[in-house]
Amino acid sequence: MYSKKWTIVLGALLAVSMLLSACATPTPEEIIIEVTKIVEGETVVEQVVVTATPEPAAAEMRDNVLHVSFGPGDVPTLDPSLGTDTSSIQVVEELTIGLVRLHEETLAVDPGMAVSWDLSDDGQTYTFHLLEGIPWVRWNGNSVEEVLDADGNVRYVTAHDFEYGTKRTVDPDTGSSYAYVLGMALAGVEEYLYAENWNDLTDEEKAALRDGVGIKALDDYTLEMTFLTKAAYNLNIAGMWVARAEPQWLIEEKGDRWSEPGFSQSYGPYALKEWVHDSVMTIVVNPFWPGIESVPQPIIEEIQFSMLDQSAAFAEYEAGNLEVAAVPSADIDRVKADPMLSEELIIAPDGCAYYYGFNTEKAPVDNVHMRRALSYAVDRTDLVENVTKGGQQPAQWFCRPGMAGCPYIDPHPGFGITSNADEAKAELALHVAAVGYTDDSEISEVQLMHNTSEGHKKIAEAIAEMWHETLGIQPTVTNQEWKVYLKTIRSEDVPTVWRLGWCLDYPDANNFTREVFSKGGSGNPEVGGLNWLNEDFEQIVLDAAVESDPVKRVEMYAEAENILVYEDAAVLPIYWYTMVNVTKPYVNRTYSNHGHDYYEKWSLELEK
Amino acid sequence: MGRYIVQRFLWMFIVLFVISMITFAMMHAVPGGPFTQEKALPPEIIANLEKRYHLNEPYWKQYLLYIDNVMVPHISKDAAPEMVDEALVEISLPGGNYLRWINFGPSYSSRSRTVNDIFREQLPVSIQLGVISMVVAITIGLPLGVISALKQNTIWDFLGMSVAIFGVSMPVVAMGPILIWIFGVALKWLPPTGWGAKPPFTLFFIPNTLGSWDFWKHTLMPAFAVGTGYSAIIARLTRASLLQVIHEDYIRTARAKGLSERIVTTRHALRNALIPVVTILGPMFAGVLTGLFVVEQVFGIPGMGKYFITSITNRDYPVIMGAILMYAFFLVISNVFVDITYAWLDPRIRYD
Repeated sequence: MYSKKWTIVLGALLAVSMLLSACATPTPEEIIIEVTKIVEGETVVEQVVVTATPEPAAAEMRDNVLHVSFGPGDVPTLDPSLGTDTSSIQVVEELTIGLVRLHEETLAVDPGMAVSWDLSDDGQTYTFHLLEGIPWVRWNGNSVEEVLDADGNVRYVTAHDFEYGTKRTVDPDTGSSYAYVLGMALAGVEEYLYAENWNDLTDEEKAALRDGVGIKALDDYTLEMTFLTKAAYNLNIAGMWVARAEPQWLIEEKGDRWSEPGFSQSYGPYALKEWVHDSVMTIVVNPFWPGIESVPQPIIEEIQFSMLDQSAAFAEYEAGNLEVAAVPSADIDRVKADPMLSEELIIAPDGCAYYYGFNTEKAPVDNVHMRRALSYAVDRTDLVENVTKGGQQPAQWFCRPGMAGCPYIDPHPGFGITSNADEAKAELALHVAAVGYTDDSEISEVQLMHNTSEGHKKIAEAIAEMWHETLGIQPTVTNQEWKVYLKTIRSEDVPTVWRLGWCLDYPDANNFTREVFSKGGSGNPEVGGLNWLNEDFEQIVLDAAVESDPVKRVEMYAEAENILVYEDAAVLPIYWYTMVNVTKPYVNRTYSNHGHDYYEKWSLELEK
Repeated sequence: MGRYIVQRFLWMFIVLFVISMITFAMMHAVPGGPFTQEKALPPEIIANLEKRYHLNEPYWKQYLLYIDNVMVPHISKDAAPEMVDEALVEISLPGGNYLRWINFGPSYSSRSRTVNDIFREQLPVSIQLGVISMVVAITIGLPLGVISALKQNTIWDFLGMSVAIFGVSMPVVAMGPILIWIFGVALKWLPPTGWGAKPPFTLFFIPNTLGSWDFWKHTLMPAFAVGTGYSAIIARLTRASLLQVIHEDYIRTARAKGLSERIVTTRHALRNALIPVVTILGPMFAGVLTGLFVVEQVFGIPGMGKYFITSITNRDYPVIMGAILMYAFFLVISNVFVDITYAWLDPRIRYD
């Protein structure tokens, strides 16, 4: 009997506590929901009117706001000089405009802040003529306003701002990770960026080095850039985010904090409105951007970037709160089968490549036949269809087709290295004969190493199984934590086979074939990596960089790639990445081939 | 009691000091640095970056610099509240000087932010979620445990313990997406992800939107997902402990002298049975705070949990130090609270 009382008391307690937590609900739910969407204070009044007089059937309208998602984690920076990752650069591309702007579909070099440019006779010096009357703007809490100087005059973007921004990127004190890209292209940068005993130099010496950098404002709207060589990709580099106009007055006042919301000043089609770190960033249309052919005035009022994990973002998409989302690999099959979602699905190329590298000095892959055998034995189609499942494209060479200078698949279906079990066995036999083994089992052990990740593990295990099935070689598969791994593959202890990926900085073969695999590159460092040096390869990629005939360039890179993946087979290309996205049907959008979207060209059908 | 608390706080400083040393040594012993990345940087660039963050100095000097920044108040001419080189405590002194104290350093992976910023903007969100989750855990777990114990071996007991076992064996990583799918995607009752409060916060961690449905609708699912797991632990512990106490002699005595069953259970049994429960609540709260990584990821909550993982994978040294010290700080503080609660629950426990 007593215990019965207890249950009642406890039950009541539980019920009350539940009620209490539910009671936090104020009665006019809808008002608050709407308010958070609109944000401004005055809209509250409007809402009250709406609830008081239920308006009759006017067509329901959407907010002119696009909701998209970045990956989890905060956007690292909005400072053009410091951006290294896709999300940072994506926002920078909307807040600022480069001297030139790459067309997102054709990858053609369109005018950006430069209306036109002249090229000197030696092909190394560009003179850019800048767009006039573009003001610096900032979000003042209520609206986007023009930035004024101390005398109350509007500050316009000038060639001096570009000179300042670029020089700030390559200033050793800035410590920009991407400054080296300018170092390889722009005159005078390496002397400045890599100056010895920087801290011991006098101010005059530092200034002299700074003046030596090959960028100079001739007047407010004329900018001269001097490059090291006459190269096809120089204009691409001039348009990169590391060479943008930056507000000197602001940076000198606020230091590293200048790109934070509240301070941030920009001049592109959008301006930074809000940035709740780790959560959501909002950019709002800049009414002072006049619109040019390559960068029109935006149609969509605001863009909200949520920083969500893929599955969280996809749930938001399904709930109707995001307009665009990436599909998590676990959901791809379901999306393809779903009649509605499959209509919204687009698998588009992405500027990234996934590959394995060989340590060409380590047995058994110190022999080219062995490397070719391993490469032939990987059934790439099987791998992308049954293991990775993201619609990736099997890669026969490294340079992502679609980038300027890269070979195309269509005219060369058998080019590079293909997947071929018979060839693999034949190459293995050649290897056995060349080394003088009497039996396959004498082949020394192949170690395959990847960085710790579920995805890489699946791929490695699948490839190990293919090698075992086709060649009878059972590699040992090991993994290491990311940064430990990077250290390992760039040391003397680099394993027989290792994995890495590469994503574009600018869409040109030079950024792929040369910057990754010529000696000293990311995949072929001085110590470790491929441990590979081929003079022919080095010469070809050097010549191809300055070749001006685009057709000839493709041929040259094709030749280099052939050395890389077939003749020397130092690299085992696996696949080219794709972006697997769903987009709501009421979004009119463009698809970008260089990894960054130009939202000013998008629009929403506002009527529901 | 007062003396005891002061003593404990002094000990806390020593504990934090030792922890900071061990953490510092361990994180520098791990191979790879903050600037090791897939696109290998030229050595000169790495040198520039290391110089910027004093990583080129000998370790002992780096450590002393860190301790100096965190512990020693500095007097400076400029306020610099908007610069990255900023302090948690800043007091304006006469003569245009500023006293600045507690600077946990920059974040290497996000140049415009500092560890102080993470403490100001991300930690409060985790505390909010942590506190609400604990409330959920206790409101579910405690009654469940008490009912199961009082109705031992009846259908209520089995039911209660089944719920508890379900809670233990259903990790957030599975429960989160299921909740999201049901309430966020299918029914559209609750927002699938996000958080209903943003900085600045009142009194360090109280959200300004506390009274609004918008705050609570973002809170329900994650707090429930975290809370049920912990409620199961609380329920099982309460049940075991209460069962033990119920069979003690003094309970029989209490009954024998004619006290009502309600008084016996609340005043004599439950109060004693709660001691082990309270013991785990302290570390549990600290654990909830730092263990929010998964739930924050699943529900897209801008909390601190993720920094425990990402700071280590990024080798973001100041963030690692800050996160670990913060965790240690909460652990010590919550243990002090536990000790004080002991004295309240059991008058025999005294610290003087």
